[in-house]
Amino acid sequence: MRWLHAEWTKLRTVPSTWWLLGATVVLTVVAGAAAASSLTTEVCPSLEACHEDTVKLSLTGVWLGQSTCLVLGALSMGSEYGTGTMRTTLTAMPVRGRVLLAKAVALALPTALAGAVAVVTSLWTASRILRVQGPLLRAAVGSVLLLTLVALLGLALATLLRDTAAGVTVGLGLLYVVPLLADMLHSPTWQHRLQRWAPMPAALSVQATRDLARLPIAPWPGLGVLAAYATGLLAVAGVLFRLRDT
Amino acid sequence: MTTTIPPYRSRLHPARAGFRHLLRAEWTKFWTVRVRLLVLAVAAVVTVVISQLGASGSHSEGPVQVVTGPDGTVVNDAFHLTHRPLTGDGTVTVRVTGLRSADGGALESWAKAGLMIKANLEPGSPYAAVLTTPDHGIRMQWNFTGDTPGSAADAPHWLRLTRSGDRVTGYDSTDGTHWRKIRDVRLSGLPHTTQVGIFVATPAHQVLHRSFGGTSETFGGGKVTGTFDHLALRGTPASAAWRSTDVGGPMPNGPRRADAEQGRTTTDASGEHTLTGRGDIAPDESGGDTVQMSFQGVFVGVLFMVALGALFMTGEYKRGLIRTTFTATPGRIRVLAAKTLVIGSVTFAVSLPATAVAFTLAQSTLRANGYEPPQFPDYSLLDTPALRAIVGSAALLSLVAVLALAVGVLLRTSAGTIAAVLVLVILPQILAFALPLPAAHWLLRVTPAAAFAIQQGVTYYPQAENNCLPESGCYPMQPVHGLLVLAAYALVALLLAAWRLRRRDA
Repeated sequence: MRWLHAEWTKLRTVPSTWWLLGATVVLTVVAGAAAASSLTTEVCPSLEACHEDTVKLSLTGVWLGQSTCLVLGALSMGSEYGTGTMRTTLTAMPVRGRVLLAKAVALALPTALAGAVAVVTSLWTASRILRVQGPLLRAAVGSVLLLTLVALLGLALATLLRDTAAGVTVGLGLLYVVPLLADMLHSPTWQHRLQRWAPMPAALSVQATRDLARLPIAPWPGLGVLAAYATGLLAVAGVLFRLRDT
Repeated sequence: MTTTIPPYRSRLHPARAGFRHLLRAEWTKFWTVRVRLLVLAVAAVVTVVISQLGASGSHSEGPVQVVTGPDGTVVNDAFHLTHRPLTGDGTVTVRVTGLRSADGGALESWAKAGLMIKANLEPGSPYAAVLTTPDHGIRMQWNFTGDTPGSAADAPHWLRLTRSGDRVTGYDSTDGTHWRKIRDVRLSGLPHTTQVGIFVATPAHQVLHRSFGGTSETFGGGKVTGTFDHLALRGTPASAAWRSTDVGGPMPNGPRRADAEQGRTTTDASGEHTLTGRGDIAPDESGGDTVQMSFQGVFVGVLFMVALGALFMTGEYKRGLIRTTFTATPGRIRVLAAKTLVIGSVTFAVSLPATAVAFTLAQSTLRANGYEPPQFPDYSLLDTPALRAIVGSAALLSLVAVLALAVGVLLRTSAGTIAAVLVLVILPQILAFALPLPAAHWLLRVTPAAAFAIQQGVTYYPQAENNCLPESGCYPMQPVHGLLVLAAYALVALLLAAWRLRRRDA
């Protein structure tokens, strides 16, 4: 417990943590509300003729919110390397695996909480703008888990690369550029592969509430892909963390 | 005895403090960090490799029959024409009394009824026309890509076309006596005997189902009826009777059986002509954009350039080097200018060969995969759309680095800067695929992602009905305007950075 307490204190006493958590909520809600209000009658003349997934549309803000979660995760490890605190940390807590675990837990809990606030507020705001219909629970819980997993992905990448900037760049490349390529490629097989196996398009299928049969990957397995990336990279990072010098 | 120690004066020549030396200092700071050179090299290689991957995964469905206009543009040229051959010069006049939908669907905004002079009845041959449309007023159109608005009036309206040599002049009038010239055009290759007459055409109805992750666009139907009276031809007609032809049709490959239906012309005793027909006269923009398909790697290149630009500035803040820099050169704006110049020119110099090689390789792959003329134009490096896209993509990569540098001054942290710039440049592009179309177009106009429009090779003409789907590679802005949006972002960020540098402690 003392390990967790130490990591939590480190996280809590840096102002950037609170800025980033606040930004996650604000950006998610604002982008979600903007997306929800973009659904005009010009696009959807009537409920029957509308093919828009309103739940997913209301949660569009998650696209934006995940960037701050990633930065938060990367900073929680990268800043220790940047400032040299890492040496003090490892002197005080020599079992490295446990340091990483404590960091992951200390990071995941506040991120999940901020994510929950962001997702619930997004859905509530969107329901004031349009009729949000569809099974909400899976999309909402899935989005909160998604934001948490992205923060852990940031932590894993920063541990692997021992640098915040590199971790953020690689992470954002994985989250944004890979799905972009998946959309732009003109080859259907590659498109399908990327949409199934790249972390972001796969994980976002958890937000879908209609036309599930047309999804490249089912909702929960899709989130599972992201979870596999996050935990897999975290495990590799853990091994390297033990093997390497600081 | 007292000795006065003279104050310290540097023995270096004052010119040492010049901007050239500042540039050299910043360049030295850049290249002596070897990782940066490595990142630059990796960025160039990855840009080429991903572009190549993107191109090799794309296949065209083999040769289809395409119609090309006089300038080689792929066009639709199918319509119902009631015509007479005209030898030499002459004038044709008509009053369009109405235009309505003939298949129960809504009237398309670019449905057409009007007068035409056409070289012959082959699809794709040169023509000039004055026509009425439901929503865009009177237009004069010629050779598929030319379009000039006349008066904003709706039918009923008088139209006139005059041929004199290879010049054709279009007029419109509300009463048939006072004529307003719309413009005259030169149609090269117009034969001595042309076909003149009245025509109707309409773009097909489009049904767009667009939601997260899937777009389906169906075309079909579209049939209009136009009514005309006071049809008069002055000149030397080579035949006495008006005849009717479905130019470019009936369409045997149309999606519905009704598309194979013939057009009809009826003439009543009072001289009123009623034409019913289908098909459209416009550039065909439904094929892929092979120029744009050659630059997929630029999206990945952006990642590296943003990181380089941001770290060039934030690295100095992190290590405290910025204090040394400002002690050596107290003119902070000059430091910012030197840094901007160095990062901008280095990234441009590396990006330009990368995009040129990426384009050349991707083009040859695409050609091997079936993207061949005449359906897809064959671009060489120096053709306008290709050159614009190559130089523009390099400029995009360099501007993105400059934007990151400027944001780095404002935020001072590497992670925040990289995340903020990447979110600004890349995210709108992804959201544009997912959000409803008006919101998607808005995003691609106001965010730096608008700059990717510079990679467009297809010209989107306003007179051709097109939904402009971002997933098909269409951007709502003109290529150069899109790049200017990014340039404006970079400029504003630089100005803010300059202001901030002067006001705030280092």
